[in-house]
Amino acid sequence: MEPTGFGMISAILALPIIGALLLLFLPPDNSKGIKWLTTIVTGVTFVASLALLKQFSSDTFHFQMVEFVPWMSSLGIDYKVGIDGISIWLFMLTTLLTFLSSIFSFYVGKREKPYFLMILLLETAMLGVFTSLNLIVFYSFFEVSLIPMAIMIYIWGGKNRNYAAVKFFIYTFAASIFMLLGMIVMAKQHQQVTGVFTFDLIAWQSAVASGSFWQNTGNLQMILFWSFALAFIVKCPMFPFHTWLPDAHTEAPTAGSIILAGVLLKMGTYGLLRFCLPLFPEAVQANTNIIMILAVIGIVYGAIVAAMQDDVKKLVAYSSVAHMGFVVYGIFSLNHVGIMGGAYQQLNHGISTGALFLLIGLLYERTHTRAFSDMGGLKKQMPNFAALFLIVMLSSVGLPGLNGFPGEFMAMLGGFASAFNGSFGLGLWLPFIAGTGVIFAAVYLLWMFQKVFYGPVTNPMIGRLKDLKKWEIALVGVFLIFVFWGGLYPNTFLKPMEKSVNAVRQMTLNPAGRRPAWDDQSYEIDEAGDLVQQERLVSPANFYSVTTQDDLMRMDQEGL
Amino acid sequence: MEGELTFRMIWWVLLLPLFGFLVQSLLGKIVMDSLGKRIGRIVMGGLAVAPVAMAFVIALGLTKQLAGMHGDQTVILTLFEWITTKSLSIPFEFRVDTLSMTMVLIITGIGSLIHLYATAYMAEDKDYTRFFTYLNLFVAAMLILVLGNNLALLFIGWEGVGVCSYLLIGFWYHDVENSKAANKAFIVNRIGDYGLTLGMFLIVMMMAAVAGNGMGFEDPRWLSYDVIFANIEGIKNAFPPAIITLTCILLFVGAMGKSAQFPLYLWLPDAMAGPTPVSALIHAATMVTSGVFLLNRMSWLFELSPVAGMVVTLTGVITAAVGAIIAFGQTDIKKVLAFSTVSQLGYMFVACGVGAYWVGLFHVTTHAFFKALLFLGSGAVIYAMQHNQDMRNYGNLTKYIKITSATMIIGWLAIAGFPFLSGFFSKEEILHAAQAYHVEPWVGQVAFWGALAVAVMTAAYMTRMTMMTFFSGGERWKLIPAHAHGHDHHHGDHHDHDLAHGHDHGHGDHEDEHGFFYSDAEMAEIAARTPHEHHHDLDETHTPKEVPWMMWVPLAVLALASIFGGAGLVYWTSLEGWLSSSVVVAHHEEAGHGAEHATEHAATLGSILTEFFQNPLFWMSLTAFAVGVGYGVWRYGKGLPENDGMDTGKWNPLRTWAGRQLGYDELMSDGVALKFGGMVGRVFSWLDKTIVDGIVNNVGALAQRIGDLFSKTQTGFVRGYTVLMQLGVAAVVIAILYKALMGGGQ
Repeated sequence: MEPTGFGMISAILALPIIGALLLLFLPPDNSKGIKWLTTIVTGVTFVASLALLKQFSSDTFHFQMVEFVPWMSSLGIDYKVGIDGISIWLFMLTTLLTFLSSIFSFYVGKREKPYFLMILLLETAMLGVFTSLNLIVFYSFFEVSLIPMAIMIYIWGGKNRNYAAVKFFIYTFAASIFMLLGMIVMAKQHQQVTGVFTFDLIAWQSAVASGSFWQNTGNLQMILFWSFALAFIVKCPMFPFHTWLPDAHTEAPTAGSIILAGVLLKMGTYGLLRFCLPLFPEAVQANTNIIMILAVIGIVYGAIVAAMQDDVKKLVAYSSVAHMGFVVYGIFSLNHVGIMGGAYQQLNHGISTGALFLLIGLLYERTHTRAFSDMGGLKKQMPNFAALFLIVMLSSVGLPGLNGFPGEFMAMLGGFASAFNGSFGLGLWLPFIAGTGVIFAAVYLLWMFQKVFYGPVTNPMIGRLKDLKKWEIALVGVFLIFVFWGGLYPNTFLKPMEKSVNAVRQMTLNPAGRRPAWDDQSYEIDEAGDLVQQERLVSPANFYSVTTQDDLMRMDQEGL
Repeated sequence: MEGELTFRMIWWVLLLPLFGFLVQSLLGKIVMDSLGKRIGRIVMGGLAVAPVAMAFVIALGLTKQLAGMHGDQTVILTLFEWITTKSLSIPFEFRVDTLSMTMVLIITGIGSLIHLYATAYMAEDKDYTRFFTYLNLFVAAMLILVLGNNLALLFIGWEGVGVCSYLLIGFWYHDVENSKAANKAFIVNRIGDYGLTLGMFLIVMMMAAVAGNGMGFEDPRWLSYDVIFANIEGIKNAFPPAIITLTCILLFVGAMGKSAQFPLYLWLPDAMAGPTPVSALIHAATMVTSGVFLLNRMSWLFELSPVAGMVVTLTGVITAAVGAIIAFGQTDIKKVLAFSTVSQLGYMFVACGVGAYWVGLFHVTTHAFFKALLFLGSGAVIYAMQHNQDMRNYGNLTKYIKITSATMIIGWLAIAGFPFLSGFFSKEEILHAAQAYHVEPWVGQVAFWGALAVAVMTAAYMTRMTMMTFFSGGERWKLIPAHAHGHDHHHGDHHDHDLAHGHDHGHGDHEDEHGFFYSDAEMAEIAARTPHEHHHDLDETHTPKEVPWMMWVPLAVLALASIFGGAGLVYWTSLEGWLSSSVVVAHHEEAGHGAEHATEHAATLGSILTEFFQNPLFWMSLTAFAVGVGYGVWRYGKGLPENDGMDTGKWNPLRTWAGRQLGYDELMSDGVALKFGGMVGRVFSWLDKTIVDGIVNNVGALAQRIGDLFSKTQTGFVRGYTVLMQLGVAAVVIAILYKALMGGGQ
């Protein structure tokens, strides 16, 4: 590929870094200036990402606005970024949530300068994760994003912050080591097949699509699949690798929790969608039942443990385990509606859980407690806060009409369809168990709401609380816009995703040689969802079932 | 099309209550603050009633238009695309047909009456506008439920009304028992929704299979009724009956949750914690009948599965019987009505189960009239009796509240099956349909005799309620000494006693040492709610007063509907014929009875009566009425029987047992949900802490110890990282070796 030079994506990636550099010039005691500067920078980044969104086209599954700058080409490492339907909304979510959490962070009153520095560095790292197309670049962003978050927990966290930060860092770092090794083996394998040593995702996928990559490699595909998947599964996090999350969430400062739940967890599901599915098609098909079962255990287990918590933040953290279980469940159902649902649900989990953590943060700034036993009767004291909390809580419950519903519904339908059709060795019992997750979600969230807001005021401290200020209502209001928008008109978000999701699905399920390739512009997903190559039908969409070799032979005989 | 243009007005039917909701929620506080309490209440009350009343007027016009249409009386209107993907498309579309418009008329008609009633009932409440916020939202959600043209839209409304119900049950959140009742309602409903969701998935699967067989994927509106109905044949051919039965039963599980059928009825009695207008509108007239609506809507699918029909029938019979038995043991006037509602809902499902879907909807309609009347009447009684709900404190109220008494007596006669009142007709149709059920004769027999027995019981417990409240000699509240209320702290033992009985009596009745019954939790709550109003308690000095016009006008209208509604829907306009374009009705016509009515428009009064007198069914239900009422009058006519309310007496243990819902509620709420659920939760938490996280921490500690061997100077991060890096490398080496040994590679 010809070098393109830096473009819009790089500019957006650079904005927070520039902000961070400017921040360095401010004296540490100029707390107002630091806060305003960060807010403005993250605000500008958000607006810039809107401009990116405006340029984005929903008509193709290929990467758009690709930027390629040769770097260490002999080592296969080049700077390459681009965006497609799977990453575009995560990119937007990142800029939005960072902006909103830096507004909230006006509450921070201790060592502001490094704090806001961390937020800005974190933003670049996260945006880098969602746009990198070279695996080493991706890996660097992926790991770099850990550091500011771990530091945020370590310095600005709660009582047990030391333990939480170290656990968070080591756990997620350790898991991704395996991915790094897997990458090296992948590059080597690519060299063996094509003669080029590279970490370029598009190049790898092209070789996978043609079938040459995994020819005569035995169990290698399976091993590498797990080495990648493990990193992402820990990140999601999925049962049984979730225990770092409650600790990290409980101890993290509010902005950290919002970003952690809103964006960092999505790196896991994004990684599964972006790398695992297209690169390891056979391994995915063979192992999807294991992952689906783990996801369903996570859905039920996370919900039950959430119900037993006596700390608001811990409860929401465990609810994330359950909700992210739904996302993975949808993605690994490997049918169209399921992957769409999973990919959509991860955005809405970011919005809902982000908003929940924001609200809990607003409360914590007033009460300095997160224990249910200290609360009760808050509705009388803070009616506006209660109303906003109610809506966000219901969105997390998955109430139809709010943003939690469409994705969850589609993901569950996807899982149901795969099991119903008997694909991938899944039994029909699986969706029946997964469905109970929606019952449990109501149990723990309603209990939480009752314990915090209803009943008589028993704690005199509650009796002194003031309701939300105007700017705080406005801040939550931004989340609410997306809560309603995502629930009432999900098409805004679904449409740009659809072709990329469809392509990824066909990369995973179609037989070798019939798979779409990111580097071959002659492939496209047409209006009906079928894969075509220059008007020639390559493979029909088969939304709910797997296209078999027999189907394709019959199709060829019919001269399609 | 000109007609379609008119039918666009249907959006206004939805938008008006939605608009009302926005006005109440956003402007309520401002208006109340700026105009003052008195005028503010009039303005906001008016703004709450008007949208619903206007929606009713529009709906009437549309129904008239629809009645004038020839051929297929169905209009589908699409507002926008809601969820659109290549594999599933769900537009926001409304279906105007005879079934949905019938429901719309019930919702907006009775809804506006109840809104009017509530403007007075809730007048003393400081959260006046919050109440109407929820109530208007409820109407909007309910309209989406019945008007949506696909199951996903139905589901929006379905869960939407659930949330409104949750908010209104917990409206007086100061008492945490109320919010627990609200939680229970929502969670039990979610169990139903779980079934409904899975049922929807199965329908999508069936439709996808039909699509694969040639329908194609161009327009995957697979949850839309018109698409499902058009492919019923395809479904029938593509799937074995077991799958179709499973689908129907899953949908029915949803109906069981929302319509409080056994074993999911548990939430409805607790839901009485909400304000009485809510009980009338949501927990009697509209929301709880959604399940019957769903079965009517999907009648084409249910027709394919006789097994599902049997399940529905038997569930209905069991629910009807259980509800009626429990109603005998209640002393709270609203609880009697709640269990009566459970029982009557069972009746409706009996009708649907035996294939007479339209009869189910007929009973929905008549029940909406008389049960809304009874609930509003009980609200008026409660209002007149200082918010005391214990019937044992009532008596001889006909003397004081004449309009309320008269209307409630009509309601009582209507539900008890007095000939030619509305309840009589729908009950008669249900009995007839059960009798004519031939798919599985024993089920029909069980349904018929069960329904007849429940008819006797209904007449009896409703008579008990009426006698204890309005007749039966003594004015028992006068026996409560005026000073009784200050004695709360003396009643510690009674509190304990109540706790031991579990919490199914949301507000445990506290027996005064003088032997009187008033619920002091209730009293305390009223006092907390209206701190600035002058408030006097129910005691010997109390004189019940008639309610204001906003409350008795709805009573009078509903009383008229309870008298004439049944006959009107049979003779004046045939509900069966009207519904025949949207619901399966033709199936059981060979039995003749239903069809006869439709052709009887021209019949004279004489011939109608003759027909009834020749029909053995008429005499059977008349006997049921007479026996039930006779028993009630005999036992309760003279006053409170000795063992009714006291703790002695031969039948008392049985009666108490019935009052405690036969122990079922305790078993489920305390036993299964709290004890067993709590145990599972604790086990899982323990697992999480000691096993899942324990392993992690131990690995970490181990790594740290190994790290110490390598270097004593490195700090935490790096140390752990180094070790794990090494472990990782080791793992990969093992993996590569494994690969080599397994004979892969080049």
